[in-house]
Amino acid sequence: MIIPVRCFTCGKVIGDKWEEFAKRVKAGENSKKVLDDLGVTRYCCRRMLLSHVEIIDEIIKFYERPKINKEEEAT
Amino acid sequence: MDINILEKNEESIRLIVEGINTLMANTIRRLILTEVPVMALDDIVMIENSSVLHDEILALRLGLIPLKTDLDAYNLPEKCSCKSELGCHLCRTVLTLDVEANKPLTVYSGNLVSEDPHIVPVSEKIPLVKLAPGQKIRLEAYAKLGKGTVHAKWQPVSSCTYRYVPVVKIDKTKCNECKECIRICPKRVFEETKGKVRVANEIECILCGDCVEACNKNQSAIKLDKKQNSFIFYIESTGALPVERIFYESLKIYEEKILDFISQLEMAINVSEKTS
Repeated sequence: MIIPVRCFTCGKVIGDKWEEFAKRVKAGENSKKVLDDLGVTRYCCRRMLLSHVEIIDEIIKFYERPKINKEEEAT
Repeated sequence: MDINILEKNEESIRLIVEGINTLMANTIRRLILTEVPVMALDDIVMIENSSVLHDEILALRLGLIPLKTDLDAYNLPEKCSCKSELGCHLCRTVLTLDVEANKPLTVYSGNLVSEDPHIVPVSEKIPLVKLAPGQKIRLEAYAKLGKGTVHAKWQPVSSCTYRYVPVVKIDKTKCNECKECIRICPKRVFEETKGKVRVANEIECILCGDCVEACNKNQSAIKLDKKQNSFIFYIESTGALPVERIFYESLKIYEEKILDFISQLEMAINVSEKTS
């Protein structure tokens, strides 16, 4: 749903690296290079970032919509 | 005993320790993993949570945030004189979180407001939850010292390992300079200089034995061995404590345990002598 705070296997904090990782990979950078830059060396931590999908962004939209609808009704 | 630091930075250290046996090395490793205390958020009081994450998921995420720990200022709750469930100022500190979203918003570990300015999250950029407009989170979180035996959030390290010091030898009389070992070695231990194969990076060898097999099958020119009573330690801190402090604390705990053992033994001997 949202990026885990720590690596499931070793316990290294990877949550704070997600936003930079996602931004740079989306900009077209090679994900291997980004992971190396971020200091994520073990493959357990690398898969945490590589395989993550931020589903919470999709769910939030369902909660944004009713609010906007209500505002439209009021005006 | 001889200690050499191979590399050291803010969060990790790699060193060679000579003159200790496996028992000692493993004791230190296990003490670091299970006995060295650090701070972590433990009790969470949810006042309001209308986010899409359930209370318990949010509480678990909060618990996993590493906090910068001041070991000298706080007691372990079980050793504190207050004996109260929620603790006193000597064994816990309170962090609060109070956010309301007007537009889509990410809540970070940096949004936590600490009562004690020394006890703060190691990183301010850990996303905790995302809020849609109108959603609210209000909570109180109690940070306490704890040990890795109880929960992994109280481990001071994310990686704590030791391995043997490798010894790589090439028998020049048997080597036919096929360079196969250079190609197959995953850690690039071998190097070619002036047409000859040479051991360039011995310490990186992981003793996998691929080079021995790739070499002439029947009489391999390469011999792998491990140094007796020497270990390469690698410790990677979560940031809660400096790496050298983790080492120091583990040895202090070791000493306490041994002294406790001796005093208990003496007491038991005294009792048995009196009764006999």
